[in-house]
Formats: sequence, C-alpha cells, structure tokens
Amino acid sequence: MNARVVLLAVMALGGVATLRAQTIQNPTLRRAQQAFDNLDYRQALSAGQAALRERLTGFERARAYELLGFTYSGMDSILKAVDAFKQVVLLEPERTLDPNRTSPKALSAFQVALTQVLVVRQLVVDSVAFVGGQGVVPIRYTVTQPARVVTRVVGGSTSLRIDSTVATGQVNIRWPARLPNGDPIPPGNYTVVVDATVGQNSSSTSQPIRVSHGTVDTVAHLTSLPGYTYLPETEVPPKSWRPMGLALVYTGIALAGTSALSNRDLGSASLREGGTIGAGIVLAGFIMTLKKPAPQPARGNILYNQLLREQITRRNAEIAQENTRRRQQVALTVAPVPRSGGSR
Amino acid sequence: MRSLACALVALLPVGLAAQHVAIGPQVAFGDYREVSSDLHYRGGGIGAKATLEWKKFSADIVLSKVKYKPTSDGTATTEFDASEVDVRLRYYITGPVSGELGFINRKVDPEFEAQSVGAVTAGAQMAYLLGPGVRMALHGGLMFGAKYSGGGTTSGLGALQLGLGLTVDALHSRVRVTGDYGFQRFSRKTDDGSGALPAPIQKSLGRVGFAIAF
Repeated sequence: MNARVVLLAVMALGGVATLRAQTIQNPTLRRAQQAFDNLDYRQALSAGQAALRERLTGFERARAYELLGFTYSGMDSILKAVDAFKQVVLLEPERTLDPNRTSPKALSAFQVALTQVLVVRQLVVDSVAFVGGQGVVPIRYTVTQPARVVTRVVGGSTSLRIDSTVATGQVNIRWPARLPNGDPIPPGNYTVVVDATVGQNSSSTSQPIRVSHGTVDTVAHLTSLPGYTYLPETEVPPKSWRPMGLALVYTGIALAGTSALSNRDLGSASLREGGTIGAGIVLAGFIMTLKKPAPQPARGNILYNQLLREQITRRNAEIAQENTRRRQQVALTVAPVPRSGGSR
Repeated sequence: MRSLACALVALLPVGLAAQHVAIGPQVAFGDYREVSSDLHYRGGGIGAKATLEWKKFSADIVLSKVKYKPTSDGTATTEFDASEVDVRLRYYITGPVSGELGFINRKVDPEFEAQSVGAVTAGAQMAYLLGPGVRMALHGGLMFGAKYSGGGTTSGLGALQLGLGLTVDALHSRVRVTGDYGFQRFSRKTDDGSGALPAPIQKSLGRVGFAIAF
C-alpha cells in the first residue's frame, strides 16, 4: 500500500510523461512490488534483493531500494530500512515522501537516511525580472549534512562563484545577476551549480536558467498634474456704474471748465459744442454700464497657471533625465529551465 | 494748411509702420467770439484727424476748416473761414495721465475779419477706458507765445485750452467713431498807445467723425 502511495508521489513529482518513460520493466521487481502490495514482506524482500542483483535502470534500482526500505520498515528493521533509504537518496536526491500517505516508521527511517548522507537537493531558482543592478535572483537549496557549499553560475565562457558557505538545512542566496565588473550578466543559458563537500563526500546539483535582456520602460511626459487643472486667466468683473459716473465727471469738468474759463466780456460761454460731445460721452458711459463688462486678467489665476506650467516643465525635465537613465539600463529576466538530469 | 496736409500725407507711410495709426474725416461746428459779445460767430465745416501711437508716445494731428457766420445777436456782418492746425504730441506718464506738447495755428480768410493766431501748447491728458473699445479723454493746458495777426499780447497764464474726446472702436477696431470738443481762450491785450486794452478771443469747436485704423 505504501509503495503505491510513493508511486503516486513520484507521479506527482515527475509527471505523467516521466512516468510513462520510467515504468518498472524488470519482472523480478514487479513481482516484489506485487508481494509488497499483498503484504507478503518476506517474498517482497527476497524478490527485491534478487532484483537488485539483476540489471536495472537507475529508476528501477531506486524503486527496488525504496521497496526494501518500506518492507524493512514494515518488518520493524529500522536500521536496514535506513540503509535502503540512503541508497534511494543517493540515487534520487530529490525523492521525497508524502508524510500524509507514508507510514511514520518509513517516514522516520527516510528522514534518518537523509541525515546520514551528504546530498544537495531541492535547488530552486525563482523566476524574476528586474532592472539590472536593482534586484536579485532568489536561489535556495537544501543540504542534508554540514558541508562547505559552493554555488556557481556556469554558462559559455562565464563561470561565476556567487556564494561559498558552510551550511546545513535550507540555504537562501540572493544573487544580483551581475558580473564582477558590475555589468549585468549577458543574456543566454546558464546553469546554477551547487557543490557540497565534506571530507571525502561530495554532492552536487544544478538548475539550468535562461537570462534574457529587455528594455526598461520609460515614463510618459506630463501634460497636466493629477488633481490640478488650469484656471481661466480672465474673469468678468461685476457690473458697475463706474463708466457712467466717470463719463459724467469728465463731461462735467469739461463743461464747468468751459464756463469758468470763458471771458465775461464775451458773454455767456457756448456750451453747444461741449454739450454735444459730452452727451455722446455720457451716452457711451451709460451703454458701457449696461453692457456686460469685458473680461479682465485674473492675476491670481495667471500666477497659479504659471506656477503649474513651471511645475509640469520641471517634472518633465526630471522625467527626461530619468528616461535617459532608463534607456541606458537593462531589464533582466531570469527564468529556470526544466532540468534534464538530477544530482549525483 | 496745404503744407501741413502734404506733411501728413508724407508721414503717413511712417505712421503705418507704427503700432497704431488712425485717420479719418470729421464734421466740425464751432462758436467764435472776439473782443466783445458783439463779435459772435457760429459755423460749420470739415476736418480731419490723424492719430499715431507708438509705445508710450502718441500724437494727434487735427486739421479743420470752418466757415464762421455772424450770429443775429451781434453786430458783425462778414463771415470768414478759419483754417486750423492742431498738433499734439503725447507721452504716457502713469495711470490715466499723459503729458502733452504741441502747437496750434489758425489762419483766417479774409485776413482781417478775425484774428489769425499761432501758439505753442503744453498740458496734460487724462484718459479712461469706459468699456471694450470705448475711450474718453479730458485734456487741458496752456498756450504759450501766442502771436496774433492783428497784434497784441497774452500773459503767461492768459491763454488756456480745454478739451474732451471720445473714441469708439467698431468693426473689430478697424473703424473708430470719434468725437472731440476743444475750447480755447486767449486773454489778449492790445495797446495802440493809449494803454492796454482787452481784446479777448474765445473759440469752441466740436468735431464728430470717423477714422480708419491701421
């Protein structure tokens, strides 16, 4: 039953296509699997060990050891189960067991096995896009034993050591995707390689990635500031009797002046000429009083609009500078490529 | 008169190059008195007015020819023609105020029916915009160095002038309707050897017309 569960987990991990390509062909191993499914542990054990002496594919060999691990766990032979699971981990470091569908004994043996072998597993490079120099590529992996772990990026003629540390458990790295001289890493296909070494033991895993370059988006120039609108630069003043009043005043001054300045010896002054023109002026003043006043410049609004235009001009100058800088930048996109092989 | 008209025509192209030029005909009507209330004339005639504006400077050139006829309340019997040139140069000072400097020259035909006179004028103008395209102006000043065809003198403050003007823009400021009023008073004195005798001259002239603006 547990083997079925593990198989389901493998299906989930490897996908249907992988499963089709990696089915158990060896008849001895199939017999062992059938015996395990029938809870005939002795038969499963003998058939599984027999299968290991035959010629098996890597997948079948891992399945054979896993079957032995589950069988030993069922038989309460924990040490042997751990040994079997160690072989599974060495053959397929990415192998995991579903804790919800695996017996606690087998799960415990598997966890113990993980701590007894040096393996780098679960290397993940997140897909990310950022402006060169302003972001990082998250990389994480798990190393099962304390070891010196070196992380490199290899591709073409490029080989960059991006991290070197002594670590165990999950390790997180933030890679800025830059060359030693500070330039963004050139576009192309690379491989993130993680090597772990402790004593004579070593483990390695890798993840292919693809780096592509793009242009950085520029900022559009402003034609207005959000929330601010231009105000009318002229305004119609309220109606006023001022034109009529001034016309009367000017006409009065002219006529009174004529009367006052005229020579008494010459008789009374003639007001016919001044009166005619003055009447015209008073009439014009009266009409202008009734007429809608002409729009007058609104000084406050003019200054406000001027300030607004200056702000927009200043902001556009800043945007132009920003765009100039952005045109010199590179938008980096780093995406993991499905890997074809596992770790050793 | 003719020479000034020629000068006006000659100056017109220069004026056209200025910022604002307006020129047009006017109908004139006036009142003229001299020496005493018995010499009282009224009449009508034609005129022309040209206005030039350039930056803070402006100029009015007014030509008029009025046929004055004796009024019924006087003793005068002979009519005469008065041809007058009035030139005023103006400089904007501040607010509504401009300073004026110019001259007048009035010739009378027949020569001895009334006084021909010439004088330099100086004064000020106050202008106000009544509304869009409607301007009025009040001006006044003194006339210095007055010369009369019949002789006589005038003291420094004895010759005064006063004026009122209206300009209304029409047809998108291409045409201006103009109305002007001018009053002159000369406190002239003559001396035939028996002492100074007052022989004042007083004239009121109204002009209504239009002008084409360039």
